[in-house]
Amino acid sequence: MMEIKVLGTGCTNCKATVALIEQIAQTKGVTVHVQKVEELREIMGYGVMSTPGVVIDGKVVHAGGIPHREKIEQWLSN
Amino acid sequence: MNSQPKKLAEATQYCPTTAHRKILEEGLLVVDVREYDEVKQLAFDVPEIIHIPLSEFDTRYAELPRDREMVLVCSAGHRSLKACYFLMFHGYDKVANMEYGMDRWIVRGFPVRGEKLSTPSDEQASACGCTTLASTADSCCAPSPAANNTCCSPTPSASKGCC
Repeated sequence: MMEIKVLGTGCTNCKATVALIEQIAQTKGVTVHVQKVEELREIMGYGVMSTPGVVIDGKVVHAGGIPHREKIEQWLSN
Repeated sequence: MNSQPKKLAEATQYCPTTAHRKILEEGLLVVDVREYDEVKQLAFDVPEIIHIPLSEFDTRYAELPRDREMVLVCSAGHRSLKACYFLMFHGYDKVANMEYGMDRWIVRGFPVRGEKLSTPSDEQASACGCTTLASTADSCCAPSPAANNTCCSPTPSASKGCC
């Protein structure tokens, strides 16, 4: 199962990112566990200044703005 | 970007009174992370200040000295906290955040340059009994050498704390 963390303090873009990842994962039949990281100290532990950030299996793959659908599809295909 | 998250310690937080005292007595360097238009309207009037907007912080943070005690400031203390943690992530260990930011700095009557904002509501101004724009010497937040490092001596009516 793919472990995905969405970093962000609860803004609209962060929620949209979570929803988009879950939607695309469901469409592709990929099992994911999406966790929201909202505590600032924990977010900054990844060195991410721009949120939402996305961490997949421990690696930061995106920071700033809602990721494009194509990007998410690529993550879920790997 | 780093793959493994760093477990950062809790950021050191100074209230405006403590920050002001350290700026004057210990040469604390102020780092303002507000955007250009905010600084143009109202600036902290302190001996030493560096301005790096948060929008440029990740590319310019290396301009900041690692061997100086610094305090990060912004309008309300939130953006500066983010910048403080960012510096800690990059190994800076002499950094602190100023809680409540410029908003509280003004209420305490600490020096600023530029256009002053309108006075806050009565509730906000009298949280600790201080009047707006009271001098620092007269305010309840006068520097105190208390051993526990609280910025203000407790007052009988301070139900919410001074700062």
